[in-house]
Parts: sequence; structure tokens; C-alpha cells
Amino acid sequence: MSHAMVRVPASRLTLDEFAMAAGLHPDLIRRLVALGIVEATYGPAGELRFSRSQLAVVARMQRLRAGLGLNYAAVALVTDLLDRIAVLETALRGSQWPGR
Amino acid sequence: MADGQDFYQTLGVPRTASQDDIQRAYRRLARQYHPDVNHDPGAEDRFKDVSEAYDVLSDPGTRRRYDAFGADFRQVPEDMDPETFRRSRAGAGSRAGAGGGQARGARGSPGFSYSSGDIDIEDLLGGFFGGRAGRGWGPIPGADQEAELEITVEEAYRGTRRSISLSGDGARATLDVNVPAGVTDGQRIRLAGQGGRGTEGAANGDLYLIVRIAPHPRYRLDGRDLYVDLLLAPWEAALGTSVALDTPGGEAKVKVPAGTSSGRRLRLRGRGLPNSRGKPGDLFAEAKIMVPARPSRAERRLFEQLAAESDFDPRRQP
Repeated sequence: MSHAMVRVPASRLTLDEFAMAAGLHPDLIRRLVALGIVEATYGPAGELRFSRSQLAVVARMQRLRAGLGLNYAAVALVTDLLDRIAVLETALRGSQWPGR
Repeated sequence: MADGQDFYQTLGVPRTASQDDIQRAYRRLARQYHPDVNHDPGAEDRFKDVSEAYDVLSDPGTRRRYDAFGADFRQVPEDMDPETFRRSRAGAGSRAGAGGGQARGARGSPGFSYSSGDIDIEDLLGGFFGGRAGRGWGPIPGADQEAELEITVEEAYRGTRRSISLSGDGARATLDVNVPAGVTDGQRIRLAGQGGRGTEGAANGDLYLIVRIAPHPRYRLDGRDLYVDLLLAPWEAALGTSVALDTPGGEAKVKVPAGTSSGRRLRLRGRGLPNSRGKPGDLFAEAKIMVPARPSRAERRLFEQLAAESDFDPRRQP
């Protein structure tokens, strides 16, 4: 008799837990997932699961909405561009010391 | 922030600016200083100032009141006449100048008492100081911020303590930061909760200090490896010698083997920057052969003798 080993990541939050931690309604979280702003995975029963790191993504989305009046589509674009800039800036920093 | 800021100056527009000019200036500055776009710790305060200025100037009604009454316009009753206000302010000023005690409001308008300092602006404005984010959006955690921290090669080697001052909140104006030994250029030091302020009780962001190791007159750096020139006289390089070399960790003896040419790297294992999580870097001493710029007569004669007797040709292909 054998059982498949199932790895259950302890840090993954359910939709309700995630919505509670983000201070937003679960329906809004669901929409953010559909828009590709928040990343989620699916649990064994097909339910949404969230990594804690996505809470920072939600916070940034709220700041961009509140501070610049962006809609969700614009937030998704700005978020992608900011992430790309961060990667480029990190690469640039690494090349500032040419070494030998 | 609130007191003393000139809203027109904050937005960089003249007092005669049109509503369109004001909106254009605000949008440009908001994009520039939004805490998610600009990670500088000062950007958040700037963003809030800009938002506050725009909130006041974008509404023609509040703008008129601001123009008439200045920074205290929120404390002035709605139906106050600007002329009366000006006269009462002048009266208040002269009273203060006279040391007080005179009949109060002698020249002031009846029914208006100007109380300074008793009203907490924050109370009047509610959550306004969270910037535009403060109203109707619920608690929003603060953004992460980044600042550069420049240290010397020696400090990177030994570790150091730095007091850094942050703009904004007086309560956390300076922070003592422990820079551990063996940080590398570009490494990030995380100061949890010291970044942008969250609104309505939400968590603050983190402040990341990005370590910059300043260029050094002697040491060149590649990750944790250090490179330093090892200056040699021609005969030292040819015959071999032992040289005392200054390194960040103290003096080290370098054995130069006979027949060392310029560019040869002598490795001093583990003498580079330390590493708390593994192998320390190495120090490479790079041979660089120097000749006397003005040789003495004797030196010159010896070099000429060497030139005549030697058949060494560095440009000959082996």
C-alpha cells in the first residue's frame, strides 16, 4: 500500500484568510486574480491559495490606485513595468564595479 | 509639513496659474514622487505635500479661501470677509508685539476671536494627512523605501555602525544601523518597519539600505576579492623578494618569486572581505614593476651593462 506524498505548503493562505489579511473583500481578491494582478495557485480541491508575499502586491496596488487614481488595468501595467525596472536596476548595480 | 508650506510653491506654479496648470503640475509631481515609483525615503513626504497642495488648489472655493487667508484658511469661519480678517490679523500681531495684557480685540472685528495653537489641525482634517490615500480607501500598508549607504573598503572589512537620519516623522529621525563585516557592494540591509507609513493603522513598509563601497585609492574590489598593486623594483621582480603589504586586515608578507613580471597576481587566500556565511574573499597583489625616473649615474651604468650582456627580449614570441 502506498500513499502519494503531498506537500502542503504551510504558508499558503486560503482566499478568506488572504482577504482578511489584506483588508479587502474576497470577491475583490478574486477579481484581482482574474486580472493577473495577484498571483494564486490552486489547492487540491481547486480552491485558491495565496502566498504571503502577495500581500505586498495588494498593498502596492492599493497605493497606486489611491495615490494616482489608476484603474485596475493601469495598475497591472504599472506593476509589471515597476518590476521590470527593479530587475534592470539590480543588474545595473551589479555592473557598476567592473572588477578585474 | 502642514505649517508653512506654500501650496503654489509645492506644485511649482505661480499664484496666477489656471486650474489646468495646477492639475498638470500635480499629475506630473504625483507620478514622480509616488512612493511605489520613487523609493527615496523623502519621496513619500513630498508626495503627501503635493497631494495636500492639490487638494486645496484644485477646488476653486478652497483656493479662493487659501489665497485670501493663507495657511490658516481652515481655521477661518466660512463667512469671514478677507478685509476684516486682514485687519484682525494686524490687530493680533500688534497685541503680541505689545506683550499682551491690553484690551483684547481692540481693533479686531467683533465676534471673531483668532485662537492660535488651540486647534489641532489633524482633528479638523481627519485622515487627510495620509495624503489622498487617507480618505475612503481603508488601511493601506506603507511602501518599501530604499536609500544608499556609502562605506569605505575598511568599513566593509571590519563592519561599522552608522547613524542615519530620516526625513519626516521626528520620532524616528535617526537610526543606528549595524553594518556587518563583509558586506558587499550592492547588498541590501533591511530595516523592518522603517519604510513608508501605512495609513489607518496598517503596517509600515521596510527601509532597505543599499550598501555602496566607495572607490578606494589602493584597493579595487570584485565581490569579496580585493586587488592591490604590488610595486616592485626590477631587481626585486627578477630575483624574488619578500614584501610587506598593507591590507585591510593588517600588514601581510608577500613572497614574490624570482622571475615575476608585471601583471602577475599573487594570491593571499582569505585576505579579502570576510564572509559570515562561507568562504572569505581573497586578496590579489598585482605585480607592477617600477623603474627610477631619474637613475643615478651608477644605476644608469649598471642598467647599460645589463642591456649589453642580456639577450632577454620580452617581445620575442616563445
